[in-house]
Amino acid sequence: MSAGVAARPRSAARPAWLEALRHRPLLLAVTGLVALAFALVAGLALGNVSIPIGDTVAIIGHNLLGWPAEVTWAASAETIVLELRLPRVITAMAVGAALSLAGATFQGLLRNPLADPYVLGTASGAALGAAIALLVPVQFALLGFGLLHVLAFTGALLAVAVVYRVSRLGGLNSLTSVLLTGYAIGSLLAAGLAMTMYLSGSNLRQIFFYLLGSFSLASWPQVVVGLPIIAIGSVVILSRARILNGLLLGEETAAHLGIDVRRERLLLLGAATLITAAAVALSGLIGFVGLVIPHLVRLVVGPNARSLLPLSVIYGAAFMAVADLIARIPGELPVGIVTAIIGAPFFLYLLRTNRAGYQL
Amino acid sequence: MNTRTIGIASALLALVLLGCQAPPAATPTMAPTQTSQAPTEAPTVAPTSSPTASPTDEPTASPTTEPTASSTVEPTASPQAQFPRTVVDDEGTSVTIESEPQSIVSLTPANTETLFALGAGDRLTGGTDFDDYPPEAAAAPDVVVQVEVLTEQIVDIDPDLILAGGNNFTPPAEIQRLRDLGFPVVVTYPETVDEVLADIELVGAAVGADEEAATIVAAMEERIAQVTDAVADLPQPRVFYEIGYLPDIYGPADDSFTADMVSLAGGEPITTGDPVSFVIPLERLVDEDPEIIVLGDAAYGVCPDSVAERPGWDEMTAVANDAIVPVDDIIVTRPAPRLGEGLAALALAIHPDADLAPPTAGTSYCEVPATP
Amino acid sequence: MLEVRSLSVSYGARQALDAVDLAVQPAEMVGLLGPNGAGKSTLLRVVSGTLRAASGAVLIDGVPLDEYERPALARLMAVVPGQTLVPFAMRVEELVALGRLPHEHPLLGPRVADRAAIDVAIERVGIGHLRGRDVRELSLGERQLAVVAMAVAQGARLLLLDEPTVHLDLHHQVAVMELLRDLAVRDGVTVLAVMHDVSLASHFFPRLVLLADGRVVADGTPRDVLTPERVREIYRIDPALVAVAQG
Repeated sequence: MSAGVAARPRSAARPAWLEALRHRPLLLAVTGLVALAFALVAGLALGNVSIPIGDTVAIIGHNLLGWPAEVTWAASAETIVLELRLPRVITAMAVGAALSLAGATFQGLLRNPLADPYVLGTASGAALGAAIALLVPVQFALLGFGLLHVLAFTGALLAVAVVYRVSRLGGLNSLTSVLLTGYAIGSLLAAGLAMTMYLSGSNLRQIFFYLLGSFSLASWPQVVVGLPIIAIGSVVILSRARILNGLLLGEETAAHLGIDVRRERLLLLGAATLITAAAVALSGLIGFVGLVIPHLVRLVVGPNARSLLPLSVIYGAAFMAVADLIARIPGELPVGIVTAIIGAPFFLYLLRTNRAGYQL
Repeated sequence: MNTRTIGIASALLALVLLGCQAPPAATPTMAPTQTSQAPTEAPTVAPTSSPTASPTDEPTASPTTEPTASSTVEPTASPQAQFPRTVVDDEGTSVTIESEPQSIVSLTPANTETLFALGAGDRLTGGTDFDDYPPEAAAAPDVVVQVEVLTEQIVDIDPDLILAGGNNFTPPAEIQRLRDLGFPVVVTYPETVDEVLADIELVGAAVGADEEAATIVAAMEERIAQVTDAVADLPQPRVFYEIGYLPDIYGPADDSFTADMVSLAGGEPITTGDPVSFVIPLERLVDEDPEIIVLGDAAYGVCPDSVAERPGWDEMTAVANDAIVPVDDIIVTRPAPRLGEGLAALALAIHPDADLAPPTAGTSYCEVPATP
Repeated sequence: MLEVRSLSVSYGARQALDAVDLAVQPAEMVGLLGPNGAGKSTLLRVVSGTLRAASGAVLIDGVPLDEYERPALARLMAVVPGQTLVPFAMRVEELVALGRLPHEHPLLGPRVADRAAIDVAIERVGIGHLRGRDVRELSLGERQLAVVAMAVAQGARLLLLDEPTVHLDLHHQVAVMELLRDLAVRDGVTVLAVMHDVSLASHFFPRLVLLADGRVVADGTPRDVLTPERVREIYRIDPALVAVAQG
């Protein structure tokens, strides 16, 4: 770059409404929560079996809120709403929130807009763990989690731990090495996965559907174990919004701004990996959400983590709940396909609207 | 298993060991049906055998890693008055069925076929989208679409009994969830011909059609005996049962069900050399040199004339002698009541001149119009 | 304000700094000069806490560097790097706001006082007309001013700069230099800057420290430090090429 480069042309004016929203994160949060509530109700009311909305509301009210009511609905309806749909919607929201938050965190930690929750090999580690679980002839069920979930979770965590060690995140300015190591380890694990799939014979189908991601097996025991993990990890990250802001200009600058970079990096990395691993254990590999939701939010409110993180959580949860709803109505599409189909065009639209004001 | 079950099982075991007689000698690969002749109990019937219980059981030499409990069978004394009863499914799980099921959901096409054969087809309230036999089976609402189990649908139907497929055919997590929701789920997973027969009896027991099951099994045994007798003295050619051709050549794995069928049909099965993988390299196939190729993929349009054109295949004896025969894969491999006819079809494919009545079931493929 | 005692740093076998001594008074404006590899940036990095010295000490306000808590140090000392990479779209005021990180509430963020400090910093640096603009779309000179504004918002009494005028056009080079002088004179900020442009440095810095091969070669006014002999010896160029300010 030569000295004295002239100023680049002014950005095209952002639409007024977008500009107004930028300064109203609270309004966006409230809107998001409303969307979330809507997604919850819709998720409970709609499904493969049609249940009158009045019944749905009554079932929820009677069982969860203690409304006195005459039982006028079928027992099967109650089972469907409370045992099948409710845990499913909650799981979808938790996973959506976790992936979005983890994506925002990794993008901030690695200062790379293309980072998603799986960038450090989480996906490959989880997939390999799941595939091994399906190969191993051990029946195991603990609190609604089978061997599949446990190994997927473990695989995800181990993959990142290996990447961390191998790339020796001791020194600063080693982000490139982290990303490359993540890529390399991820590829290695993917090869292991391919080998496992080859050896799996009839279980191939199971592995395949796990890889596409699904909420169809969500259950209360899983929610009880998975939700606290995601909640704890999320709280750790959300309380560190300040740190992520400091990291925006680089780790040296962050250090000069008074941040203990080494410790915070480990904490954020650990928490983001934890919630990603939990999300993957709960629902398989669902892509796109962790990459795009943070970007969408950032497009509107800017990079300030104090707005970005909570809004990513809220909108990630709402988006995933809606995506799952759409996935299951026509008869169980893999939800990963739905997230891509809905998300991509909308994202492109927003990029166009904001044309010169945002470069990935 | 609860304590009561174990107690009664032990009592029955003792009686069985005392009172059981050896059945008539069977062919090397066939075991007699595992019917334990226990004396009639009080109306509450209890489960019996674990794999080691009855001395008439032939240990099943299958490569499966899951415990293959042979299914329990109830005494045939008084029909239709035997509920509540507990059966032990192929995964060794005890399933208690409170009363004779009037609403039955089947998660495998094989079980659907069995249900209809048992005369319980009218009680089928949910099936799979692959249910194709008998034709009326397709009319039942689909609760399995492709591989997805529609749990909401099943809950809505609220069946008295669910029949599922083992070895991941029905996702184990799904089976567990249905059981957690309070439904009795019986899992079938037969790995040999004997086990297919045992499963028909299991399903019969579960739905209260023991007599019908016994009849079907007896007929199947007779047909199977016919086949094995007809090929007993014939030379055993090397047979390759082709399951698929693209992208790799698929054939029976070592000790698999299909290999078992080929043996029974009087052939020497060419296998993949691996107990898990169904892929056979072309080199191995050429090396094994099949004398007969049976096209299990005929239903997908693979016919004998296309085989000869495959590069590298013309070295095989079977191709040189044009000994390539299409069969209806479904009746040969589906663990359902038509299996006897399937075995006959397979035997005739291997030994066209065998003294055997042609199969009365199954579809013909690759029909060559008769030359005038 | 700042004291460097007998500082030595080596990169492997190479001695980057060899027993360097330096004392800077409050509100002084000091420029660090020297050819490539002289150790200027290394010195700055040790003072800013990025690099550890093999031996020697750095004291700020009489207290050794490593006895400071990080946030406390951040309130005391600010660093302006040569260039700043911004990965995401970020507005000028958001960048300046980062300077309040050591001051703001951990969870609630910038408070009234913090927002006031941000506004003051923006006005002080004279980039009020750039509010609302994406930092990445500014010219390099404008961006550097924004980073200086961030350091100003930090409220630091010691400002360290590493080659702050590289890549800038002449107008902004002068603008930055004038700003630094203003900060030292009006606000009593102590400025220590590594400068690559000798002429510019000689015009604006009342005191220059010349380094070569890890040692302090000269320390004083520009006229005393940048004698023709020294320029020829250290930089190995014709001294007439360097316009040293007189007086």
